[in-house]
Amino acid sequence: MKLGRREFLKLSTAASAVAAFGGLSFDLSPTIAKANQLQIDWAKESTSVCCYCAVGCGLIVHTAKDGSGRIINVEGDPDHPINEGALCAKGAAIYQLAENKNRILKPLYRAPGSKHWEEKSWDWMLDRIARKIKEVRDETFIRYNSKGQEVNRCEGLASVGSAAMDNEECWIYQAMLRSLGLVAIEHQARI
Amino acid sequence: MEGKTFFIDLTRCTACRGCQIACKQWHKLPAEKTYNWGSHQNPKDLSYITYKLVRMEEVVDKNGHIKDWLFFPEQCRHCVEPPCKMAADDYDEKAILHDEATGSVIFTERTKKLPFDEIKDACPYNIPRQDPKTGMISKCDMCIDRVQNGLLPACVQTCPTGAMNFGDRDEMIKLAKKRLAEVKKTYPKAILGDVDDVRVIYLFQEEPEKYYQFAVASLEQKNLLTRKELLANVFSPLANLKL
Amino acid sequence: MTNHWIDLKNSDCILIMGSNAAENHPISFKWVMRAKEKGATLIHIDPRFTRTSAKADIYAPIRSGTDIAFLGGLIKYILDNKLYFKEYVVNYTNASFIVNRKFKFKDGVFSGFDPKTRKYDKSYWKFELDKNGNPKKDPTLRHSRCVFQLLKKHYRRYTIDRVAEVTGMPKEDILKVYKIYASTGKPDKSATIMYAMGWTQHTVGVQNIRAMAIVQLLLGNIGVAGGGVNALRGESNVQGSTDHCLLYHILPGYLKTPKASQPTLADYNKKYTPICHDPKSANWWHNYPKYSASFIKAMYMDADLEEAYHWLPKLDDGQNASFLVIFDEMLKGKYKGFFSWGQNPAAGLANSNKARKALSQLDWMVVVNIFDNETASFWKGPGMDPEKIKTEVFFLPCAVSVEKEGSVTNSGRWMQWRYAARKPMVDCKPDGDIICELFEKIRHLYKTEGGAYPAPILNLSFEQWINEKKQYDPHKIAKLINGYFLKDVTIKGKTYKAGTLVPSFAYLQADGSTCSGNWLYCGSYTEKGNMAARRSKAQTKEQAKIGLFPNWSWCWPVNRRILYNRASVDLKGRPYAPQKPVIQWDGSKWIGDVPDGGWKPGAKYAFIMRKYGYGQIYGPGRADGPFPEYYEPLECPIKHHPFSKQLHNPLSIIFKDDMEGLVSCSAKYPIVCSTYRVTEHWQTGVMTRWQPWLLEAEPQLFVEMDPILAKKKGIKNGELVIVENERGQLKAVAIVTSRLRPFKVMGKTVHEVGIPWHYGWVYPKNGGDAANILTPSVGDPNTSIPETKAFMVNVRKI
Repeated sequence: MKLGRREFLKLSTAASAVAAFGGLSFDLSPTIAKANQLQIDWAKESTSVCCYCAVGCGLIVHTAKDGSGRIINVEGDPDHPINEGALCAKGAAIYQLAENKNRILKPLYRAPGSKHWEEKSWDWMLDRIARKIKEVRDETFIRYNSKGQEVNRCEGLASVGSAAMDNEECWIYQAMLRSLGLVAIEHQARI
Repeated sequence: MEGKTFFIDLTRCTACRGCQIACKQWHKLPAEKTYNWGSHQNPKDLSYITYKLVRMEEVVDKNGHIKDWLFFPEQCRHCVEPPCKMAADDYDEKAILHDEATGSVIFTERTKKLPFDEIKDACPYNIPRQDPKTGMISKCDMCIDRVQNGLLPACVQTCPTGAMNFGDRDEMIKLAKKRLAEVKKTYPKAILGDVDDVRVIYLFQEEPEKYYQFAVASLEQKNLLTRKELLANVFSPLANLKL
Repeated sequence: MTNHWIDLKNSDCILIMGSNAAENHPISFKWVMRAKEKGATLIHIDPRFTRTSAKADIYAPIRSGTDIAFLGGLIKYILDNKLYFKEYVVNYTNASFIVNRKFKFKDGVFSGFDPKTRKYDKSYWKFELDKNGNPKKDPTLRHSRCVFQLLKKHYRRYTIDRVAEVTGMPKEDILKVYKIYASTGKPDKSATIMYAMGWTQHTVGVQNIRAMAIVQLLLGNIGVAGGGVNALRGESNVQGSTDHCLLYHILPGYLKTPKASQPTLADYNKKYTPICHDPKSANWWHNYPKYSASFIKAMYMDADLEEAYHWLPKLDDGQNASFLVIFDEMLKGKYKGFFSWGQNPAAGLANSNKARKALSQLDWMVVVNIFDNETASFWKGPGMDPEKIKTEVFFLPCAVSVEKEGSVTNSGRWMQWRYAARKPMVDCKPDGDIICELFEKIRHLYKTEGGAYPAPILNLSFEQWINEKKQYDPHKIAKLINGYFLKDVTIKGKTYKAGTLVPSFAYLQADGSTCSGNWLYCGSYTEKGNMAARRSKAQTKEQAKIGLFPNWSWCWPVNRRILYNRASVDLKGRPYAPQKPVIQWDGSKWIGDVPDGGWKPGAKYAFIMRKYGYGQIYGPGRADGPFPEYYEPLECPIKHHPFSKQLHNPLSIIFKDDMEGLVSCSAKYPIVCSTYRVTEHWQTGVMTRWQPWLLEAEPQLFVEMDPILAKKKGIKNGELVIVENERGQLKAVAIVTSRLRPFKVMGKTVHEVGIPWHYGWVYPKNGGDAANILTPSVGDPNTSIPETKAFMVNVRKI
């Protein structure tokens, strides 16, 4: 039996649909149910740049317009002059980086000596971190070094990170750290 | 000849496995639980949730030195006259569909009622795999939803080096023959696999059997038999059954 | 990268060494393969046959850490066979400069070495100056003390025999590569180098790259299409994070961190502003005071420049606050609080067991990440007793890249804008929001309670980071990084009103009338708009020839896509490679790329960032010598090498405590080991190990070894084995493969194995732990980058 396109579509619509999104749920039946209406057709399209190596491949990210805001598909941007739509294994998996049940979704706190993480609110965490920063800074800030030279630095704090941040984030991060008096500022570029 | 065809230029494949993952991504297929079995090739084999797999084979010279590392992004060949469908039609003509416009061979959920061994044995390339739970048989669907909407199959779209190509059949055959002529200088053993019979044409830089035992339909048999005879041969148990 | 990804297609010969580009920068191979199809030769030199080697025309094996021997031999080959591009060498490099008489080299050590401090007095290496203070030159290159002759003398020892003896590379392979690579010394040919951490992560890391830079200068391969020295950077914004200097020794735009001996801004500027008396040298860094002032004003917009300079923290002179040092000091209890922001040092830093123990000495630590990792959960890791670990840990969950808006800069220096595809999941926040909210709270505490020296905090121009809703605003910050006129300023007859965005760094001022967070990014967000967001593929005919794409995104500096491009043309502005011109003088103006300065052809020397305007074959600024010299890695299999009596880099950074475990030339650990990555995972694996599809493809730690070693050790393919040294032990699955082979080194057989550094005990179960448990905390004297690419181990059956 050979099928024409019309009959083919009719038949295939009878086959059950694959989950439109939602991570790892799946259905073995083929995706032809959506043959004439792609899931990405009703999605919002945004451009992005791959978060892995520094080739800087362009991405197209499809986000559901159904109010869930879930990402349903990520693929290479065919207009991008560097990757021309291509992505490697990691780039092709970015959907799963975003839609991933293993992500930490709430701030976690580990008290001294504790064996466990506990969930805390952002406010609680940031208030306590700010307080801790102030305590250490006030305690370890030196205006002058042992030679009597003015150095205005905080000796008790150090930071590493991050090449995973955007330029704008990197800049304000260094600004914040330097305003606190840190010189022990490092990140991935050194290792 | 009408319909669509893949041309897979193995001289260009770097085994970045973008295609392997892009396939999972588009189809939202879950990952398998794998372990490292002394190879980078993983999953080890195709499965009902792995439609596309990059096989990796090392070629060593007589001194034990590595000569080549061959990569073979494997998938259903979407045969021009699909033997799996011929086998299936004897049970249920709607279980395996053959799309006229593209030439795509599609396994539907009705495959769960088919005798898996017969379908698998019908395939000269050892492609069909069965879900042990539901009994459904699955494999590459040519990203038919994408193709019918003017997009490239996910594996082709993601390929960085031009190893994966897809388009109208005559154009792909033309491209395959052009590339074969070009790469012959570097790879004198280069060969196109089963051009007339499949919609996934590989350009091998070495003998196909060095890549994988099912890389092409048996060369030996092909020399002995015509395509029709070959298929009849493949289906002999089924034919006997019908008699 | 001096060039960029697409430009690879213009090359006649691509050398991949110290990199596995097909696996770690897979999309680069789109352009590598295009070059190949146009006839370019692809060479891969690596200890291991990889997916890169599989596509190479020539693969040549090399023992890890012996690159300078190979490259020194290439320099000698080019010189012996007169294959250098003489006009280029004379006009554009310092080959003709005369070096003073105190420069000497003996027994593997340069003059000026102090064995006590293990440092060089670099005054021994200076150029001989004329009465105007400019280096004396001999354009005939015959003077016995000119750089060219010294170079010849220095590399005389680098014979093919010695190179083969120490690298383990077969002689015929060496010659084959030398011949093909050196053939690009012809004016219209170009060759390029693609390198990565395989070159930087050594105690001779900087000199590896210096050696290649010398090769490229000799062959006239810098500034041209399909050439350059191309560092393949490994993270989406590691170029940007380096440009913005999240590093102890530099401030945004590669300005120096002020030192204690520079009490005033004038002292600081004087120290770092080079002076050159040669009017033909552009000496671009003479603009230093404009950039430092503009940076300070971006931090402290309303403050007096001098006062704000005081607010910047100062390093003690000679202080090293680099990564390895921070962790060494942390172990000794120096730091009470620590931020691990988007990084996983408990798996990513050399000598991970030391790093993990160091974390336990902290009072508290803030971790910002997407997934759990070995740093965040170190207190419950192998060998840790949580009850005894006092470190308080704050885990702040951040957004993934597709959930936030802002720019990232790729390896080719393209600053690309990306958009948020959706809001961050559940309670996650973009890093920028976290920084702003945290800073707001810190500022509030200092405002209400006072504290130690609050001025730098209270005066920081925080309002420039946030919108009217007091939220992080990437556009506003991008504008601040670009810079504004702060007063009405008239330049060349045109008045720029206060508040106007500065069009390019040529307009920045030293008097505080402009601000710019990073002068290199000045021009990226102007009154014409957000240049990084541009998506036009329009190009002129010349630009299209080499694929410049000047209207797609934006590139620093000043949208110049190929650096040092004045060296791609002769002194009349005619391209050396007319078939692939980068720039050319059409009689009245430059066309093609943005030239390295708009002066007429020949009006200025080509290398405008160098004080004297010349490419540096002789590099007297490096800590460990003006010419690269061969030394063994600090852990090595041989007690002697054929180049000198000096076994190791005498300036290597080493630490002395009981966790270092350095063991060299020992029967206990006779196998060379290197670390690397695979396509399917990334860095310590934090972002990829938690992804089922990627884990499916590369599920576990493995160790690759050659079949002869495996047989000797009774190891079968696929079996779990132990890899160990004094620093620790790993369980890994053996991949026995002919893609590795034993090396013949100084007459003996040396085996090499390799392990990926993507795994860690947190996840997955039975996935293996961090490869860096085995790597030593020793570093390059210039950069302090650890030597994680060559060290010694043993492998055994369990």
